[in-house]
Order: sequence, then C-alpha cells, then structure tokens
Amino acid sequence: MTRVFVFTNHKGGVGKSTSATNVALGITQVLKRANASNCRVLLIDTDSQGHASLVTTGRKDYGADDSLYTVLMADRQNAPQMLMNCIVPSQWDEDLHVLPASPMLEGAERELMGVAGAPYRLADPLGKIAGQYAAIVIDTRPSFSLMTEMGLLAATDAIVPVEPRYLETVGLTSVIQKINDIRDGWRHPNLRVSGLLITKMDTRVRGHNHLLAEIKSHPLLGKLVLGVIPVNEAVSYAHHNHQSLFTYDPRSSASKAYIQIVGSLVRYMTKVGA
Amino acid sequence: MAKGSINRIDELLASVTTDLMSDGQAAFQDNSIRVERLLLEMVRPDPVQPRRVLPESIHLRFHNNHVTPTQALRELVQIVQITARQRGRPFNSVLELLPNGDEEREEESAVVLSPEEQLLHDLVNLAVTIRDDGQVNPLTVVDISQGVTHLFRIETGERRYWATWLLRDFIPNYAGDGTIPCIIIPEKRSSVFRQAKENTARSGLTAIALARQAALLMLTVHGYEIPAYAVGNDFYRQALNLDLKSKREYTDAVLSAMGGVGRMQFSRCKALLKLSDEALELADRHQIEEYRLRPVLSVAPEYHAEIVRQIIDFNLTAKQIKELCEGDGLDTDTTDPLEKLPPAAIKMARAVHASSSASPQDIARALMQQEGDAAIARARLQALRKLLNEAERYLTTD
Repeated sequence: MTRVFVFTNHKGGVGKSTSATNVALGITQVLKRANASNCRVLLIDTDSQGHASLVTTGRKDYGADDSLYTVLMADRQNAPQMLMNCIVPSQWDEDLHVLPASPMLEGAERELMGVAGAPYRLADPLGKIAGQYAAIVIDTRPSFSLMTEMGLLAATDAIVPVEPRYLETVGLTSVIQKINDIRDGWRHPNLRVSGLLITKMDTRVRGHNHLLAEIKSHPLLGKLVLGVIPVNEAVSYAHHNHQSLFTYDPRSSASKAYIQIVGSLVRYMTKVGA
Repeated sequence: MAKGSINRIDELLASVTTDLMSDGQAAFQDNSIRVERLLLEMVRPDPVQPRRVLPESIHLRFHNNHVTPTQALRELVQIVQITARQRGRPFNSVLELLPNGDEEREEESAVVLSPEEQLLHDLVNLAVTIRDDGQVNPLTVVDISQGVTHLFRIETGERRYWATWLLRDFIPNYAGDGTIPCIIIPEKRSSVFRQAKENTARSGLTAIALARQAALLMLTVHGYEIPAYAVGNDFYRQALNLDLKSKREYTDAVLSAMGGVGRMQFSRCKALLKLSDEALELADRHQIEEYRLRPVLSVAPEYHAEIVRQIIDFNLTAKQIKELCEGDGLDTDTTDPLEKLPPAAIKMARAVHASSSASPQDIARALMQQEGDAAIARARLQALRKLLNEAERYLTTD
C-alpha cells in the first residue's frame, strides 16, 4: 500500500510547504540511491497560494484545466484521467511529480460546498493511481477547510509541523484531535498521526528549548516527535532560487535534519510494505 | 550542478541510505510480478500484437491516437449496425445483440453473422459476464511508464480490455470504478516468446495472426527492434527474407512458441505474409485456414483479394481453391504459353507426347481397370479417336 503523507497544521508559516517539498524529494532520492524498483513520488499542492508548486516546477500560473482544481471539478468518472493529465514533472528530479495548485482552489471550496461526496473528490481518483507511486506527499493550506479535509481523507499518515513557540504549541493537541475526528467521523481508519515535526528550532532561544523539552516530556506528544529542524537561512535562499534545500546547501543543518526524517519515513514505508 | 555540490549531496544521502540498504535491500528491489487494479486509461493494447481484436482500419486509427477507446468502439458498433440493418436485423442498443430467450434461439442459431457482428456479439457477451460475475481473470500487462505518463501495455487479455470499455460506456448499470485487475510484469521481464506461447496455447488464433506471430519471432531473434506503435503489414513482411538457418540456437524456442509446429509448417505460416494487404485483412477477419490460403500465393498479388473473397463467398474447399488458382488464367507467368491452357488439355498433350512409352496391351488393361466394362472402354477410345481427329484438323488449318 502506498503511504500518503499529509503535512498539515492550521497555523500558517510553520514550514508545511518547505517540509512537504523537501521530504518528497528526499524520499525520491533515498529510494533511488537504494536502487528501489519504484522511486516515483507525487507531491500534491492543495494550498491555493501554490508555493510548493512554484518552488518545485518554477511556475505558478496553473489554472482551470491543468491543476488540482481541474481534478476537483471533473465528473466522478473522468476525475482519475484528469488527475493523470494534470500531473507535471518537477524541476528538482525526474521522479518527483507534482499535482500543482491553482489560485482557483479558493473558489473550488465554495463551488463544492454542499456537493455530495465533495470531501472525497481528491481521495477517490488518487486511490486509483496511488499504486504507481512509492509515496505521495500532500501539502495543505493553513486552515481546517474543506481542502484540508480532502487532503486528510486521501492520506494515510498525517505529519504536523510546528514551531516551538507558545501560541503554536497551545493548539497542538487540538490539531491532533481534529485529525482524529476526521479519521473517526469520516470512517477513515487508515489515517494516523505519524509525527510532529518541530521546525525553525533555535537552540539559542531559551523559550524554544523550554517548549521542546515540554513537548518531549508530554505523555502523548513526546512519542510523536519525528524530528527537529533547526532554523536555517538556507531555507529562504533555496526557496528564492526555486531549489531544494538538499541541492542548495546539502551541508546545512536543516538539510541534515530533513534527510534524517526522510530516512525514518523510508524505513517506516518499507516496514509497513510500501 | 557543480561536481563538488553533487558529492556533498551524495554524502548527505549516504548518511541515511547506508543503514537502509544494509537493513532491507530486498524490500527496495522488488522486480516481482504483482497484481493490481489499474485504471482503464492507463492500459493500452499492444499495437504489434499478432491477434487483432478490432478491424484493421479501427485498429490503426486507435493506435495512431486518432480515436479514443470509446470512439473506436463506437465506430465498431456503427459498422455492425449498418451490416445488421442490411441483413434485416437492426438494433439500437448493443444489449439487443444478446440472445433473447428460448423461443428465438432456434431461429438465431441459423443466422450467419459477419465477422464484425460476431466480434461485437462476443464482446457484449463478455462484458455482461464481467458485469454479472466480475472480472475473474486478470489481464497480463507490462509496465512501460515513462516520466509522468503511467502506461501499461497489454500482453494478454485485449478482448477483456475492450469488453470492459464496452461495459463502462455502452452498457447501462455499470457499477465498476473504472479499474481493471492486471498482473503487472516489469518491462525487463516481458518477452515476445511468452506472448507467443500464450497466444498459441489458446484456440482461435487465425492463420494470419500466426503468420504475424511467426514474423515477430523471426524479427526478434534477428535483432530487429519491435516498435511501440501501430505498424502495417510491410513491417511483418521483413521476416519473409529471414530464416532460422542463421539463428539455429533459437530454432527450438521459436518453434515451441509457435505451438510446437514443424519447420515446414512454420515456413508456410510465414509465407502467408506474401498475400496482399486486403487479402490479409479478409483472411484474418474470416479466419481462413492456412491450407486454404496456400494456393492463393501462387497467383499474382493483384488477384489475392478477389480469390480470398471467392473463398469466403462460396466457402471453397482447398481442392477447389487449388484448381481455381491453377486454372483460372490469373497466373501472370507468361513464359510458357501452355500454362494459359486448361489443365486437362495440358495433361492430354503430355499423354500424346508419352504415347510411345506404353504398349497398346497395357493401355487396354488400364482402361479395363478404370472403366470396369469393355463396352464403355471401347466407347471411351472411340471418343478419344474422334477428339484426336478434331485436334489434328486444327493443327492442319492453323
């Protein structure tokens, strides 16, 4: 079964797109280096801002007929074909494919509101092509909107990026509770919270260290910590150059942290039979 | 990207892959055959598959991407509708092609269907079986995905593929999810020989399909590249100049893939590719056997289609076809004028030429043996004398 990782948090600016894009590329490259028979990874951008699409494909002008919007608006029977038609290669790696977002996704939520089966408009077609990929990574928008619900219903593993700041961590349990609600409420038992990704960690800031220690000592959250990504200027520069962190600065502390997380995820994929 | 930068990425990746590879190398290198439900749109029939399901014209248009699977089927349905209307049994929905009940069965069994009608009947039957009982037997497909295009080429099961499309787009109450169960073979493990064995192991492979099959095998063992697009008959005809003598190491494998035929039969099969394009298509659609097509090769290609049409229309036997091809004056070989004469006249002329080689007594005995009665034998001789006299008269006047 192909694992579908969704990076979600209703708080903006916590590193969802950075994590989703770099983890997606990392999985491809690690699998390739391990001589895996299938190294293809699909990155799905559900955020209408389209940042993940922009940095991985160099474009942000996707519209009504070549983006996720097209898939969501297609009739049920044609949606899988539309999905296949809209997938584009990334500029980062030939085996990293992207289903780009479009600014029109904003309107899609309104258009689909009240349409029967709307939350499954991504999960249904994706389920029919998922087997062609070693892994699928979904980037979500910073809210628990219909689009995020669609991403969660299509996923098998939710990863929650979070900054070690007070206000960000306050809502952490509610994020996890929301994911659990979707799993139970929508009868999607395959969805699990696979980890917390502590991003933008600055060890020089006492508050960060304090909150990280607090999270790690928490009986539930402590077990979920997947990794800690240090704050790193290379991330901004990599975005600016439309490059992955691994390409822009493979020796940066953030690159090293991300590759360790990728290693854990690939190990997990092989364990559960990716 | 700079060399130093590539090295640094390698170092970064090595920091996690070394452990991974030592832990579970086998988990990554899965080149095994697997079974999955694939989207119908991701599956495509093999354009050079010797066994043709659709009529040639639709086959070529479909594989040249001029029509979608649904449009290809719509064209087939339209062809059948025209034929059926001409024969006085019009239909609107393909479901009307299914048997209606016991009262009509007797009448239906007497109806001779055209090949296209028969094909559509079979596909509709198969589609309804799949609808009612599910697709029990998966297709065998080869993974030929490239880049963002996911594509699987059918190795066996093209009829089931078309039946599923028919079910999805032409038959009401389709409850499927647009996928089809497939056994997926990695491209490295696909083989023309296995496809050939699968084909010959089943009944219904026409002589022309066998000829194409033989050609594909010959071209493969001689190192020709098998294209991934639709090809005309000229592609298969390249095999006419090839033989197994120069590839003795493959002889057993080729003959075995052809269903264990002998060398002679293999050559005869392959030789059918000398037929003209139209004759090939007619013979394929009407499933004419090799032994009935063999004599057709002795006449000029421009007459092939006409003779094949006569074989179909009059259901000629091999003997009749042989006589037709030897004696109908269609032969283009003009070097021997005797060849244009009726075969019986040529035989008589040869008998005259050999008249000194038999004694009169032996001829009388042979006549008695042939006719069984002296009076009849005498009458035959008198008729012969009269005939010879007449012939002699022509010689003097000419």
